[in-house]
This record gives sequence, C-alpha cells and structure tokens, in this order.
Amino acid sequence: MTEIKHHAYLFDATRCIDCRACMVACSVENNIEMDKTRIWVAGVGIKGEYPELQRGTMVYHCMHCDHPDCMSACPVGAYTKAEDGPVTYNPDLCIGCRYCMNACPFGVPHFDYDKGIIEGAFIDKCTFCPQRIYNGQEPACVQTCPTDALEYGDREELIARAHARIADHPGRYIDHVYGEKENGGTSYLIISHIPFGELGLPNLPATPVNEVSEKVMEITIPFALGWGAILTGVAAGVNLYNKKKEKTAVEEKAEKSK
Amino acid sequence: MTKTVSRRDFLKLGAASVGALAIGQMLPPKVARAAWDNGALNADGDGHISTMCEMCVWRCGLIAKVVKGRVVKLDGNPDHPHSRGNLCPRGQSGLMNTYDPDRVLTPLIRAGKRGEGIFRPATWEEALDLVANKILEIKGKYGAEAMVFSSTHNLSQPLFENLLYAFGSPNYGTQRSLCFNAMIVANTMTYGMEEPARIYDDKLKYILLTGRNLLEAISTSETHDLIMAIDRGAKVVYLDPRYTKTASKATEWLPVKPGNDLAFHLALLNVIVGENLYNRSFVEKNTIGFDELKKEVHRYTPEWAAPLTGIPAETISRIAHEFAQAAPHALAHNGWRTSNFINSFHTQRAITILNALVGNWNVVLQDAGGEESGTLGAPSQPAYPRISALRLDGVPWKYPVVPFKIGVFQELRDNIVSGDPYQAHGWFISRQNPVMSLPDRGKTLKAFEKLDFIVTMDIILNDTAWFSDVILPEASYLERYDPLVPIGDKVFIRQPVIEPQGDAKSALWVYKQLGERLGIGDFFQYADEEDYLRQQLAPTGISLEEIKAKGYAELREAPHAGESAELNWNTPSGKIELFSETLAKVGFPGVPTWEEPPQPAEDQFYLLTGKVAQSTQFGTQNNQLLHKYSDEPRLWMNSKTAENLGLANEDWVEVTSSVGQIHTRLLVTQAIRPDCVYMTPGYGHLSKGLKTAFGIGAADSAVHVTYTDPISGGQALSQTFVTVKKV
Repeated sequence: MTEIKHHAYLFDATRCIDCRACMVACSVENNIEMDKTRIWVAGVGIKGEYPELQRGTMVYHCMHCDHPDCMSACPVGAYTKAEDGPVTYNPDLCIGCRYCMNACPFGVPHFDYDKGIIEGAFIDKCTFCPQRIYNGQEPACVQTCPTDALEYGDREELIARAHARIADHPGRYIDHVYGEKENGGTSYLIISHIPFGELGLPNLPATPVNEVSEKVMEITIPFALGWGAILTGVAAGVNLYNKKKEKTAVEEKAEKSK
Repeated sequence: MTKTVSRRDFLKLGAASVGALAIGQMLPPKVARAAWDNGALNADGDGHISTMCEMCVWRCGLIAKVVKGRVVKLDGNPDHPHSRGNLCPRGQSGLMNTYDPDRVLTPLIRAGKRGEGIFRPATWEEALDLVANKILEIKGKYGAEAMVFSSTHNLSQPLFENLLYAFGSPNYGTQRSLCFNAMIVANTMTYGMEEPARIYDDKLKYILLTGRNLLEAISTSETHDLIMAIDRGAKVVYLDPRYTKTASKATEWLPVKPGNDLAFHLALLNVIVGENLYNRSFVEKNTIGFDELKKEVHRYTPEWAAPLTGIPAETISRIAHEFAQAAPHALAHNGWRTSNFINSFHTQRAITILNALVGNWNVVLQDAGGEESGTLGAPSQPAYPRISALRLDGVPWKYPVVPFKIGVFQELRDNIVSGDPYQAHGWFISRQNPVMSLPDRGKTLKAFEKLDFIVTMDIILNDTAWFSDVILPEASYLERYDPLVPIGDKVFIRQPVIEPQGDAKSALWVYKQLGERLGIGDFFQYADEEDYLRQQLAPTGISLEEIKAKGYAELREAPHAGESAELNWNTPSGKIELFSETLAKVGFPGVPTWEEPPQPAEDQFYLLTGKVAQSTQFGTQNNQLLHKYSDEPRLWMNSKTAENLGLANEDWVEVTSSVGQIHTRLLVTQAIRPDCVYMTPGYGHLSKGLKTAFGIGAADSAVHVTYTDPISGGQALSQTFVTVKKV
C-alpha cells in the first residue's frame, strides 16, 4: 500500500450484499457492548412491486468529515480532526451535552444512556481503527468485507477510483461520488446505483454546514450576553412594575378603608 | 435485544481467564508455550496464531489475535484460498462461539427425565466408561448394528468413521441428504465426481444460478468471485421464488414456480439440442448417450415449460441461446441446497448435462481434486471387520445409487421409529442437531423414545444434547487440533489458539478414548493430537512446527487436478454420461425426465426455507454477536396475498402442515411469489440451555414433511405445503 496522506473509505452500494460482516468485525475489534453498534445499515431495502423489484443497502459509520459539525458543536473540545483524516473523540473531556448528536447531519454520534459520569465516555462513534491503520492493517470493517464493497486507502486515490468505476460502467451508477464535496468533503465516500437520498443520505451543500454554524457560534457569546442583559432588564422592569402595582393596590385598599 | 451477556458479565469472563493464566504462568500452558517457541506470541502471551474457521464447512483460513491467553479478534488469512483475507459475519463472530456463556465445559450425565434438561457434571473417566459400557451392552444384546452413529462434514470425520466401522455398525448418519444429495448423486452419475470445482476467471460471461443464493449462503471466496464477476459485467440469471439478496444483484431474476425449475432446465436442453447450439466436437469426443438425451428432451419445448414455470417461452429460448453463445465461458451452477422436490435429481442432472453440452469443462468447471488427497500420511490401522447387517437408511437396498458416505438421514430416523428392518437401540451424535435439522421434529423425538441410550458431543447444549443421556463437551475450533487438510498445493492446519476451557476435549482425543474402551484401540494409533498430525506429515517432509508457525505449508508433490491432456472421467464408460446405464440398470430413467411435482391445494402455500448470512444451519443462533445483527425471523408472505387474507405486517400467524403447527410473526413483503411463504431455519429451539436463542422464532422442522427423492435420497425440503391464518 502506498503512503496514505488522507485515510478514507470507499463504499460501493452495487457490491454490498448486506451480510453485516463489517458490523460484527467492528463490534469485536473495538469491543463494543452487545446492545450497541458503530455501524448501521441504512437504505431502501426492497422497493417496487412484485416482480419488478430493486434493493439498496448502505452501511455507514462516521463519515469523518473534513469540516466536522460534531467538533464545531462540542463546547469542550472533545473532538479532533486529524490532518490525515480521522475524526476522533476524547471521552475524558466529554460532558455529555449531546450537542454533537444534534449537529451531525448523518446522525452518527450515539449517546450512552447507561453510563454515569463516573464511568466515562458518553458518546460512541467510529474511531477509524487507529490501532489497525497505524499498524499497516485496514480498518476491521474493510478488511473483512467479502465482496470489497468497502475499500480503504488515500482519499484522492479513492475519489479517482470511484470516478473511474462510474465511467467504466455507464448506466450502472449514479454519476456522483457522495462525500467528495458534500458538507465540504468527507472521508467516507459512496457510489451507488440507487439515488443517495433513498439510501438515507442527506442532500448537503458543498459548503460545510459548520462554516455557517461557526459564524453563528462566533456571535453566540456576545449574543447570549446581550440577550441576558435584555432579559435582566425585562425581569427588573417586571419586578418594578409588580412592586408598583402592589403598592398601588395597597394604596387603593387604604383609600377604600378610609 | 434479548438475553445477552451484560457488559459487566463480559468483563467478568475476561477476568476469569486472566486469573487462569496467572496460575498457568507458573507452568506455561501448552498452547501458549508452543506459540512462544515459534514466535507467534511474545513474552506477555500476545500475538497472532494462524488456524482455520469452522463456522461453516467452507473452512476459511484465520489469523487469531491473542491477548493474554484470550482470542480478541479473528481476521481472514490472506494466504488462504477460501478466505483471501476476508471473513463473513459468522467467521467474524467465531470467538463468541468459544466464549458463549452457555458452553458445556464438563461432561454431563442426565439426572432427570429426557428433555427436562437436568444434568449432573461428571468426570471424563465416568462419562466415557458409561458411554462405552452402554454401547457394548447394546452390541451384546442386539448386535453392533443396533448402534447408530452420526456426524457430518468435519475434519475428524475419518476417525469418526473408524469408530463406527471398526465397532461394526453400518448405520452412519450424515446430514447430506438434507442438503445436496440430488447435486452429488447427479454429478456422480454424470461426471463420476461429487462436485466439480468452478472457475470464475475474467472471461466468464454468463452465470445461471438455480436457487443458489450465494450472496446470503456465503462461501467467502466464491461469494467474492460472484460479486467480482458481476462487477466485470458477467450476466447472471437467477431462478428463485424469492427475491433474495442474490436476486437483487442478478441481471435477471426469474421467480420460478417451486419444483418446476426442472421444466425450465429440460426446455433449455430442448433448445440447445434441437437448435444445434451445443459443442458438437466436445460432445462427440467426451460424452455418451447424446441420442437418448435428444430423444427424451425433444418433447420439452419452451412453450411446454412456460405454463409450468411461469416463465415466458421466449425468455427460456433466449436464455438457451445466450448461454450457448457465451459458452464455453458460461456456467450453470449446480446449486447447493437444491434437493427441494422429489424430482430434484432430474433438475440436477439437467444442469450438469447443460454444462457438458456446451463443453465448458476445464474452462469454468474442473476436477476439484477432493479432500482425501493421497499426499498426506495416516496412522496405520487394521482392516474394518466385515459388516453384514443392512443399513437402516435404505442404502443400497432401497436407494441403490446413493453413496454410503452420503446416506439418507431422514430414512434412518424413520426406520428407528418403525423398527424395520430391525430395531436400533442407541445413537451416538457428534456435532449434529437432528432434532432441528431433520424434517418432522415430532417424529425425531419419537425416534428418541425408541432408544435406550443417546449420547451427544458438542460445545453447547444443542437441542439434541438436551434430549440426550450423556453430553461430551468438545473443545471449540479455536481450542483444538483437527486432522490436517490439503487444499490445492498447500496443507492447512487447524490448531488451538487458546487452551481448551474447562474440561473440553478434542474429537481426536475423545474418539481414541472411546475406541480404546470399545476394544478397537488399533484404529486409533496416535499418542495425542500432535502425534496424529506428525504421522500425517511424515511422507511430506514438513515438520509440525513449520506448519504451526505459518498456518500452512507448501506440498512438494502437489496434486495436479484437471491438467492431463486426455480427459477421462471416473464413470463406468470413462466419459461424461448424458445417458447413465447405471441409473437405467436399477430402473431409473437414464436421462433427465419430467416428473410433475406435487402442488399445494387452493388454500395452501409452498413453505420455502433458505439461508441468511448471519447463521449456519441450526448451530449458530446462540452466538450473541450473530444474534445482535440478525433480523427477527418471521414468515415472509407476498403483500397482495396478505391483503387478500386480511393479514397485516407483524401479525402473529399460525402455520399448519400435515405434521405440525407453529406460531410466528408475519413479514409482509413484495419479495416472494404470491403462492409461497418463507421462513429462516434454525429458530424455535427446544433447548433451554441455549439462553440467547431459546424463545426466538419458530422451527421449520416442526412443520416440514418428510419426502424423499427416490433416486438421490434427498429430502424434498420445499415440498411442504402449509395453511396460514391469524392467531
């Protein structure tokens, strides 16, 4: 394998047979609890009417975005985007606020409701198998795939491979590599014979969501402070008004009793 | 998710094994010491050991990652031709079979009534003495033939065969008649071999799959081959009443009417013979019986087949032309579990003949060589005693062309119940679960009632063990040696990667211990497992240490399969037999012939069963990792049919056949013919010793009716008709 500058996955939906070897491999490799998973199957299942049928399956885990929304949303800096691709999560810093879950357009980070603050990590997601990729192995999900639906390599090379495969088989694929541009680019790339929307993938602009959100985040604190000041003012005003009203009522009562 | 090991329990199990190692470190355990010696493990006991999978019979090469005496991950061995570095979900989950909290780790002796599940632990000494004494008692009273032995398709099979044949019983049960008797007997009658190997090279253009759901019934390398062939643009035509995952990747899906795939294949032969689309020079040179074939298939026109199959005549004719045009780079796949109707033998014969007619031999089909390669040695042993008793399964007196080592399992069971031609009294079962695998479960339990003694060897309390008198705990495939197996020009090893847990022992050890107690110790002339393997390696000049370190070794004198210039087949004529004299002599049609399959009544459905990628037969449903990623087993029914019956998705339904009734939930889907329902086998377990699997789904064996193909002895698994109503 040539040197990998930017680790990435390529998923080819035309090859996936929904066998779930990737899911089992991930669970074993990363010692995932029996009631949790880091890989999901999304997609259309079977569509059409007997006997004119079509089936689509997409396995997905963390997309390892180039502009990760989870990271932008995290108030304590628990997420890191490595220069060579992986988006990782530091459980020691996590406070369990779940902002990352809401921020991720792919619904990847999962909250662990079973664990208390003492037991550590709240959030679980794909790590890109650093114990494997930095030791010359493919990620567990890729290595086991019996149909090469999942491939691993350098992002630029995989993008070129994906385009070449689409060009080599006119009519087989939708002419688009999902993740090349979406959300500013992801390290999980997808080619498919089924429209990406039907595979359960969101229609995202090439401008990363977090470029917008980061701008919003920049004004968050001044905005919060300003809003706080207004609310404080309102509260004070209401208080004053109430006191005044009370006073008036007392005065009125006094007047009546006269 | 139900009844899984909690995270805390999982950790506890880990802690226990670390504790065991701490004690072991004073006296280094055998497996770890050998691995340290050959450098597979480091001083801490961490590293990688090569071995072989046993989650199905495909036997992928594995590399097991071991950390402190515990297997933590399995990866496919890139050097192994069956895995090529990949593993299917079952292979990936294999370590959970070994660490199943329901493992039986000590011999058990029944202490309650059969089926109550009350057992007491025993020592091996006590259990083996009891088993040997009971078996000898049965032999003394009724003769050796009153003992039935059954086990299937595993590497210790030669020693299992020693056990029964040296003991003197002809009653050998394999499960093959529940899988592929039709295919094996058809190939044997046509090519003189059980199953030719298939070649998926770059030139392969056309693949015809008849019920071969290769993308769900995964054979890792072949599944990969098929997907890559599709990727390269090969055309795949797939016949199946169900829109399986294979159907979804095929170029063309033909939802054929069950049992009528025979008509489809006869019509293909009709077109290829009638329109001279066959390879004349190949046929003239290498086959016999073309004229008889021509005469027979003359009447099977596509127009004749269309109403039977539900496939238009033009489509059948077009496929025949396409197939012949693509030949010799065209493959008609025999299929696997295709003993689906009592006419399936003819279907299989038609498929093998289709390949022969287009002359694809040594292009897409070739001699597989076989597992029993002569390149390895074996301990010396005396000849088997002469056995004169009839076999209870009717081979050959009722099924004259079924090979002895294949047998007719369901007939064996039936004759335990009938006591005809004589009464069996004991059953020794190794790594099998006939309570779940045989059709008509009620009848199998009745057969058990006829027996004085049942002993089961397995790693868990499977349903058959649950009804047994003694359970012998086998070491799992990650904890034991098995005999070596040659594949191509290499020989591969299954070796322990961790110490056996508890008192679990290898089959090689158990069979030898039993053999000695039964007075047939001469058939087990090896000191221990390693000694057996050394004797196998003796003629090759390869050392056990060499093969242990690498997981395989190159054989210096490799068998050359299918490379001889002159083609020659192991049939009576030495040619491919389109017409079989062997069949004709015993009163069967010598060429494939139409036999009308039975049909369900108006209110009935064909009950189909099939494979899913997350389980193997009846033995893996208790694996928690597979359970985690398995779909809930439900009864598939076509959406329109369900609507007409007033049934809705997820309704509980009652499924009734002539032998039994089950309750299950409904899956309403477009992906099945309106006249069929489907269920995944392997659920509805009876053993409460399977804490993960118990209580999930329903058992196909509870409703499957026993029908045997009279030629191949195959169980007609799709010939059960059921009614379905809302509970």
